[in-house]
Amino acid sequence: MELKNILLITGKDMRESIKNRWFVLYTASFSVLAILILTAASGGGQISGFSGYGRTAASLINLVLLFVPLIALVTGAISISGERENGTLQYLLSQPVTKSEVFIGKFIGVLIPIWFSISLGFGLAGIGVALKGGAGGITDYVLTALMSGLLAASLLSVGFVVSVFSGKASKAIGIAVFLWLLFIILGDLGIMGTAAVMDLGIKQVFVLAVLNPAEVFKIASVLLLSPRYEILGPVGVYAVRTFGSGGIVLLLVSILSLWTIVPLALAHLTFSVFRREEL
Amino acid sequence: MIRINNVTKRFGGLTAVDSVSFEVSGGEALALLGSNGAGKSTLIKCMLGLLDYTGEITVNGINARERSKEAKSIIGYLPQEPVFYDMKTKDIIRFFARIRGAEKGSEERLLDGVGLAGHADKYASELSGGMRQRLSFAVALLSEPEVLLLDEPTSNLDARARVDFLKLVKEYKDRGKTVVFSSHRLDEVDYLADRVVLMREGRLVFEDGPAALKKSLGLKLRANILVDEGSVSVAASVLSEAGIVVHGRNGRGLVVDVLAEDRMRPVRELIMREIRVMDFTVEEPPMEKILEGAGTDGA
Repeated sequence: MELKNILLITGKDMRESIKNRWFVLYTASFSVLAILILTAASGGGQISGFSGYGRTAASLINLVLLFVPLIALVTGAISISGERENGTLQYLLSQPVTKSEVFIGKFIGVLIPIWFSISLGFGLAGIGVALKGGAGGITDYVLTALMSGLLAASLLSVGFVVSVFSGKASKAIGIAVFLWLLFIILGDLGIMGTAAVMDLGIKQVFVLAVLNPAEVFKIASVLLLSPRYEILGPVGVYAVRTFGSGGIVLLLVSILSLWTIVPLALAHLTFSVFRREEL
Repeated sequence: MIRINNVTKRFGGLTAVDSVSFEVSGGEALALLGSNGAGKSTLIKCMLGLLDYTGEITVNGINARERSKEAKSIIGYLPQEPVFYDMKTKDIIRFFARIRGAEKGSEERLLDGVGLAGHADKYASELSGGMRQRLSFAVALLSEPEVLLLDEPTSNLDARARVDFLKLVKEYKDRGKTVVFSSHRLDEVDYLADRVVLMREGRLVFEDGPAALKKSLGLKLRANILVDEGSVSVAASVLSEAGIVVHGRNGRGLVVDVLAEDRMRPVRELIMREIRVMDFTVEEPPMEKILEGAGTDGA
């Protein structure tokens, strides 16, 4: 594997992402909403024990949950399927590059612009907090931004799995949007419904929750921002009492990392090893 | 240089390439001839390792499947319908130049060589089909590959562009490089190929020089001969006496069938009888018609 080829493909994909109008729209929307949230969060006194950067970070969690999975899943899903559909993938593979170089280059080339969008949103909101004189909780704020980056990486990996198995970009986008609905919109409802219908215990509900990367991000971010884990409800109490306040965060970060590594490895193996040809 | 040994490629129940074997020597130009669906493009994609297959393909001793990247580094490929990222022409060739490890400055030289220097700032989507074909050719020539694989390289070109393009390929071949190209056109085969591999329904049905192919097919061409107005009847009689079938007359013109390997015979017969020939053109029958009988009688 040649680093030069990976970097070339990464650079090409980064340029393509930055030129993509949907990506620009997403980045602009995320940044504007982050600033609006900052403005809203600055009014009033302390809420739920958050203040300064911590309060802004807590407010941004829901924005991240809505935006980051959508952009990560969709851009991941079209990354390979789109090139496969329009024929550029076959042309690229006719050059002296390996499929692994193409895969890794593309993954990094899509991930960096998403990280840039997240950084821009958090950065602008962070500057706003600083200008308003907010001081406390900057570490938590940075950790929340890093968790958002990890969430993006995990769902981008899932998007790549979709992409590798899809022959057409339209099909891949459809599956990606369905997964977004499943993870974000139906996630909480699904857990509540399943728990009620199957009469699940708190341990099973916790396991069910950590099967969803968006839930993992939500729980981990809230625990990072506030020692009042009871705001997460009985599941939060169970998790902290079972694993400890440091242990549960470590566990959740590990799970989110696994959500990045396992789908990525599956997508890579499928693309580079098992799927030997690109028609 | 290239060795194809018992290569078979199946798509489900369809055998696209069926137990094909042949070799291409260094510096040789080989034409893969055949109608649509004969397996030419599939075989070229197998050589590039883009498709999986049974059998063995080596390029300069390198196994094209096991060491695909290494093999591709000495192959320049021009697809039938080139598609590019929507970047500027100069950025596209620069990207592929870096991938191929081409020497600095070769991008500008090659863009100039294929007549695209004035279009370097255009986006790929703004280029015509012919321009994209030429850009793809420039990409194929980056890093001076030992082997050129051209998949119906002139299919998107107009007559003038086709002639220019064939000249470029010929120049490359004359520098001792190996060229494998698929084509529908006998005139291209005549101009470029040292040897022809004729494929039909995935099978190799003929392998020899272009002249031998035409002879084995008993290929007849339609010739239009233009003579002086007062000599048309005499010329028709002369040709008939020589056993050349005259299909019809058109003003001062005569339409006759000639064998591909002896296309000048009617002209010779007329000149010997001191009949002045004003013009002489030959039309090839459509390739589909030529290939209809190919391979069915051992051709």
